[in-house]
Amino acid sequence: MPELNQIDAIQTLFAGEQYIADRALALTVKLAGDLQKPILLEGEAGVGKTEVAKVLARVLDTPLIRLQCYEGLDANSALYEWNYARQILHIRMAEHDAAARATLESTIFDDQFLLNRPLLAAIRHPGPRPAVLLIDEVDRADEEFEAFLLEILSDYQITVPEIGTFSAVCPPYVVLTSNRTRELNDALKRRCLYLWVDFPSAEKEREIIARRLPGLGARLADAIVTTMQTLRQVDFYKRPGIAETLDWSRALLGLGVDTLTPEMLLETAGVILKYKDDIDRLRGSDLERLLAGEAPASGSSRQVF
Amino acid sequence: MTPPSPLVLERTLEFFGRLRAAGLPVSPAGSLDALRALAVVDSLNEADYRLSLRLNVVGSPDQERLFEQVFASYFHGAPDTRRVRSGIRGEIMQGPLGHHDKDPDQQITADPAQFSASDAAREVDLGERWDPSSAPLEVIIRDLARRLATRPSRRLRAGRHGTRIDLRRSIRRNTRHGLELLELARSQRRVRRTRLVMLCDVSGSMDSFNPFLLRLMLGLQQLMRNSRTLVFSTHVTEITPALCSRSVPATLREIGALVSHWSGGTDIGGALALLNRGVIREGSASSTVAIILSDGYDNGDATLVARELAQLQRRVRKIVWINPMYGASTFQVRAAGMRAAMPFIDHFLPAFDAKSLHVLVRGMEKI
Repeated sequence: MPELNQIDAIQTLFAGEQYIADRALALTVKLAGDLQKPILLEGEAGVGKTEVAKVLARVLDTPLIRLQCYEGLDANSALYEWNYARQILHIRMAEHDAAARATLESTIFDDQFLLNRPLLAAIRHPGPRPAVLLIDEVDRADEEFEAFLLEILSDYQITVPEIGTFSAVCPPYVVLTSNRTRELNDALKRRCLYLWVDFPSAEKEREIIARRLPGLGARLADAIVTTMQTLRQVDFYKRPGIAETLDWSRALLGLGVDTLTPEMLLETAGVILKYKDDIDRLRGSDLERLLAGEAPASGSSRQVF
Repeated sequence: MTPPSPLVLERTLEFFGRLRAAGLPVSPAGSLDALRALAVVDSLNEADYRLSLRLNVVGSPDQERLFEQVFASYFHGAPDTRRVRSGIRGEIMQGPLGHHDKDPDQQITADPAQFSASDAAREVDLGERWDPSSAPLEVIIRDLARRLATRPSRRLRAGRHGTRIDLRRSIRRNTRHGLELLELARSQRRVRRTRLVMLCDVSGSMDSFNPFLLRLMLGLQQLMRNSRTLVFSTHVTEITPALCSRSVPATLREIGALVSHWSGGTDIGGALALLNRGVIREGSASSTVAIILSDGYDNGDATLVARELAQLQRRVRKIVWINPMYGASTFQVRAAGMRAAMPFIDHFLPAFDAKSLHVLVRGMEKI
């Protein structure tokens, strides 16, 4: 099993999975293992937060257990649920068997009727290598859900009233991500290692493209990076992330483009910008200058009156 | 790995003291975890040392920036570029709003006569500003409260009249019948109760709207007992307890005694900053609606208004701004504070009396 306690080793392992991890991220992963604390990654959409958990699972060669959060997410779909259909069947079958009837009450809440949902599955993962638990977009869930994450994240245990408490044999790596649409509870934050994931620097973005899309010419890659870095200086409603860079690069590669022109940028704008207002705004700017790396004056489309 | 020496530990603890003084709340648990982290990394490598501490004590990008600034100034003697923010922990919701730098040559954006930046205590007889003949706001407030106050939750609770069958509880309940499913337990949706937090501008420029304002504050507090009401000019004072009195004259007397800064200057940004760090943090975000009642004339810092509203937006479900000035036909959004605020407001209700507010609330969809 790869040991995740050397920062350089973590960076190398992540690079092997085509993920460029900076020192801060590598150190976070190391400390998550050493201190057994969950990692909380916040940042804009498309900067590669979820990817961290996926890569971590691949590096460790363990299952990735994923819980996608949404409003109203409750214990039944996050922790565990009883298999009612099977319980009822069991009750019916016991009706014709006196011995089974006598023990029915003690067997009906047995492990065999318990359905493990993601959080319980992660806690009960037998090892030997820790599983990776991804709690994705936790800001979409409501506060009640955050509250029942607290027991799990600090003690790595889950209590099922009918059975008892499950404690993790092999505490999982936990990665929480948030797009910061709302502020998370302080109690939750305190239990985590906090890292804000920013848009990549030009240099890092170039490296990511080179790793992920080796077929792309260096000149075009440079032009793409320059354009993306410039676009991020404009206060679009949704600024494009690294995911958009890769999508766009793939699109240009597929189209067989070798030089970026204003027309080409406009035709493929839908890959980079996802709001009509943002695309209209792009249409209205000086694209020649934008491709040359000069950001248009900001603020013009944001006026309210 | 180099375990931290006693000297490093001592310096680290002193550094945490600096962080707390700068307004970054380092909890004992956070500092313990940070010290545990130092034992497993190379604490003599500056980048690793800095990151190990930072990961354990910050909780937002703003705090990350603050950490980096304090780190640079403490360990490298870099000039401290932070804005001085003493008294930032707004647990006490009463106090002067002097905790942010005031621009020395700040622009005054409205009639200077209405801004007396001085907050000298002055006697304001609120009884005179109460107009018993003004139209009662009960109907409209009930309407507003209905639109604001309830919405079905996606969570379920046990309920006799629910439409869903709760199998887990059914099976447990029927163990007493030898697990023969005789009784079905049901569940239904919870109703979410909204908490209102109302922030009212009582500066000099709002004087002519006092009757309307008092009616609104009283009415909302009486109908929605779990809401909180605060008034601000250059200070912020919570008047929730005073509003809960039975009689109107007694309420007015109590508010008068509580608020010494009535008809003072305006500092919206400062008031919002205290709100964000105090009352707002006490409840859950998705069940809070913030109502701001102000004309937006501000002699504070407009960028502070924008920053604090952005914060507020993430901490509450909706922001409603009731602006009495907007009703006047000559009104334009000239007030810098108001202009800075517009992008963050969910419902802008330009109303100056009962009638105009009524029309607006009617047209408002359920929040």
